[in-house]
Amino acid sequence: MTLFDYIAVAAKILFIVGLAFSTVPIMVWFERRGAAWMQARVGPNRVGIFGLMQPVADVLKLLSKEMFIPAAASKFYYNLAPAISAIAPVAAMAAIPFGSYLIIGDHKVNLQIASLDIGILAVLAFAGLEVYPIMLAGWASNNKYSMLGALRGSSQMISYEIALGLALVSMLLVYGTLDLNAMVVYQDQSLLGFIPRWGVFLNPLAALIFMISIFAETNRLPFDLPEGESELVAGYHLEYGASKFALFFFAEYVAMLMASGLFITIFFGGYGLIPGMGWVLSFFQTSLSPDMFQNLTAIAQIAAFVFKVGCMMFFFVWVRWTMPRFRYDQLMHLGWKILFPIALVNLLAVALIIAWIGV
Amino acid sequence: MTKIVTYKEGRLDKYYIPALLVGLKVTLKQFYKTLFLGQATTINYPEEKREYSQRFRGEHFISVDPTKTENCTACYLCQTVCPADCITIVAGERPEEENPFGVKKEKRPVSFDIDALRCCFCGFCEEACPKDAIKLSRNYEMATLDRETAIYDLDHLKREVKGRG
Amino acid sequence: MTTSEALTKPKMTIDGQVVEFEPGDTIMRAAERARVDKTIPRFCYHPGLPVAGTCRMCAVEVEKAPKLMTACSTPAADGMVVLTQSDRVRKSRSGVMEMLLANHPLDCPVCDQAGECSLQDYSYEYGPSKSEFKEDKRVWKEATTKALSERLTLNMNRCIHCERCVRFTEDVTKTNELLMDNRGWHKELTTALDEGMFNEYQGNVADICPVGAITFNDFRFQKRVWFLKEKVGICDGCAKGCSIYADEEKGTVHRYRARFNAEVNKHWICDEGRMSFHRYQNAERVIHPLLSASGSLNATTWETVVPWLLSEMKKARRILLLIGTDASSEEAATIAQMLPSFSSADFVVRSWNGTNGVQSSVDDAALDHLLRRRDHTSNTRGIESLGIKPWNSATEQNFDLAIYFRCGRATLPPVMAQKEIAWGVFDLPEIQRFAAVLPGLSTLEKFGTYTNCDQVTQSFEIVVKGPGGTASVRKVLDGMKLKSSTPVREVVRDTI
Repeated sequence: MTLFDYIAVAAKILFIVGLAFSTVPIMVWFERRGAAWMQARVGPNRVGIFGLMQPVADVLKLLSKEMFIPAAASKFYYNLAPAISAIAPVAAMAAIPFGSYLIIGDHKVNLQIASLDIGILAVLAFAGLEVYPIMLAGWASNNKYSMLGALRGSSQMISYEIALGLALVSMLLVYGTLDLNAMVVYQDQSLLGFIPRWGVFLNPLAALIFMISIFAETNRLPFDLPEGESELVAGYHLEYGASKFALFFFAEYVAMLMASGLFITIFFGGYGLIPGMGWVLSFFQTSLSPDMFQNLTAIAQIAAFVFKVGCMMFFFVWVRWTMPRFRYDQLMHLGWKILFPIALVNLLAVALIIAWIGV
Repeated sequence: MTKIVTYKEGRLDKYYIPALLVGLKVTLKQFYKTLFLGQATTINYPEEKREYSQRFRGEHFISVDPTKTENCTACYLCQTVCPADCITIVAGERPEEENPFGVKKEKRPVSFDIDALRCCFCGFCEEACPKDAIKLSRNYEMATLDRETAIYDLDHLKREVKGRG
Repeated sequence: MTTSEALTKPKMTIDGQVVEFEPGDTIMRAAERARVDKTIPRFCYHPGLPVAGTCRMCAVEVEKAPKLMTACSTPAADGMVVLTQSDRVRKSRSGVMEMLLANHPLDCPVCDQAGECSLQDYSYEYGPSKSEFKEDKRVWKEATTKALSERLTLNMNRCIHCERCVRFTEDVTKTNELLMDNRGWHKELTTALDEGMFNEYQGNVADICPVGAITFNDFRFQKRVWFLKEKVGICDGCAKGCSIYADEEKGTVHRYRARFNAEVNKHWICDEGRMSFHRYQNAERVIHPLLSASGSLNATTWETVVPWLLSEMKKARRILLLIGTDASSEEAATIAQMLPSFSSADFVVRSWNGTNGVQSSVDDAALDHLLRRRDHTSNTRGIESLGIKPWNSATEQNFDLAIYFRCGRATLPPVMAQKEIAWGVFDLPEIQRFAAVLPGLSTLEKFGTYTNCDQVTQSFEIVVKGPGGTASVRKVLDGMKLKSSTPVREVVRDTI
């Protein structure tokens, strides 16, 4: 690897981490104001213009508070849990492509931190780590509420990972690859000439199952049972305060970001241009050199990726302030008795169709 | 007249999804209305204030006559009727100079304390008062920095309040 | 009841109820005897005063009599039939009330009598709700607040001219200080002398005043009467032991009132006794155990002072136990019998009075024709009946330790021993000479019996809780029993 490659990788990492760090405050702000708007309220509008500095104030407050460890807690795991919780989703984002490639001089820079052939598995592996901090936090806090929240959280995440995995396998059959970049390229065609060949149009059932599962995986409403306030106070992070709580808080939104990225990569064409963008870009095709045109396209792709992720994040917030929370048995019923069989049938159907038409 | 609305569960309701979509539509509609049409119901408190009814019962005061002498005669009726037991009166002889008008008022409150932290603002004291001395103003901004300030003494109660404040 | 007795007693009917009465009774007296007098309202009539018949409120219908008769002054006759609630009677009362209320100010909220006011009660029951009187009310500008003496304040506006107060000074105290000046509209209560009233029973005037015209300064504006709880007690101001009501609210006694007791005080009590409850509610009273250390008395606990007392009693060879004649008979008997069993020392138990030079009931005498006595302690006779002799300070000397128990007005005796211990009710200025103070309960805070100068034994009940760290005799002795190593004779129950 040359020096240029190192710089390029560092720049990409900076981009992704910067994306994560900038998304979280914006999402915190949008979560609160979006909730207010959906409830005919105003929301926090005092700190900075439109209240945009509110998350900054919140973070400053959380960072400047006393770091308190309960006497009965298991100190090492208590401290470890928020760290894993924050690192895992950021690491998972390494394998998600956010653009095709840039051409700088005679170098080709893939807009993906790690171009892995088995990218989807890497993402799943890192996302699977998310169970550990919840379990560790709940157990290490030595608190009944935390423990119950952790048990709920881990069993819920493991249950829904099955449906998620099955939905994903059906899509892998369709795409015939584990490489996320290849999936995006596959989807960057059009279906019947006028709609993009996105996974959601190829297999809407898998998309639905996948979407429900990522809501459960990220512990978002209507599946936020690990922190059900009415019965568990705050669930697994009850004993956490100050910057450790901030890390859990951060992790929740980064996990959302990661899940959104994965979801759009598999079902919404990833960084693929949104219909209409290609038409606009074609005006520049003649006036620019092929390299510069590729770079312009890559920038448009990044914009498309960010836009799609943004829409998905809005959807997360929208659902949160619309749906009531499930009861725990209903949650398990949905996961095991509805999503799991449907995902199985879906997988079987996809396999049969592919075997029949031989894509 | 209460209208009873019944809802018959249809076949689609079994699958939740249509109902979920209806819910999403409702919140999105409100999102649009609040954000772009400015239809928030919030009152931005320190700048805007809610208009309360004329009969609103807020901070207490004791009415005074033109010579700034309290109308209260320490009859203890408010203390007797108070369900929260928040009024404490100590009665005493009224000095001669506080009786400028023909008829002598014998009794006066030497001290008159209202513990606003115990008060439930029921207005019974106002109703019981035979001299219309104790009244509840319309002021509801009574926050204090310590508990002592929330115990109103006679000087505070005799402050000037226009109308019902 | 035998037939012959029933035949000898005359009978009358009040509201359909046949009642017996003594010859010479008035209708009111007969009704009182039969406890059916609640239906006869009255202002000027008072059982302790001569009959005046001025208010006309007690007028009742007597069968075969053409007019209504005043119950207070009409002699009862055998076979009389009296109606107290007929329409005629009620109409008459309504008329009387309207006349009385014509000039009565509507200042019940300010008036101290409100809540125990006859005029208020009867106005509710019989008075018209509207008055025909359109003119201005009569206002006494000078006499709105006028001192009758240092102890009494008069508000002439409220007076209804029942003249109970005048008759009280004429017939009970026989001092004739009060009189009614002028007639009719201008009738005004004044004192005969410019100096005002001077008798020692002025508080009763405020008590018997049916309205709030005369108020007792000690209680004036102190409390509204509906807050007070009426508790039964005995005044321990002197050897008379008058029956009283102690009116209490939230652990504080606010006033004494006379309680009718035919054998002792009738309807009256003296002013000194009326204000005597202040003695037990002053800020100077010692209400926590004190123990001397390095020359000064310091606050301590019962856990410290009881073992200390036991060890002192063990060390001493000759102990004087001096019991004030204001201790209740129970306390005196208990201490006198129990305390010696904690020590092998030579115990001498004596009593001490010392008020007005009185030591035993022989020295006691009445101060006037009514109630007041020279002896200012409440139980001299009771202590004597227990066989405890007065202490002769001249002859009985040479004690190592002296314990002085007193609960009321008994004076401080001369020096009794090297080491002296005070037990009971003491004030801070009195205790300098004592090595320890064990705060006890006053009359208000305990129950027991007193035997008064006329050998009448009366019991009294707890009125309020003992303040601070005060403890009953029983509690202290129980504590001593727990702390003492030697078994103690159980004598208390057998003797009391």
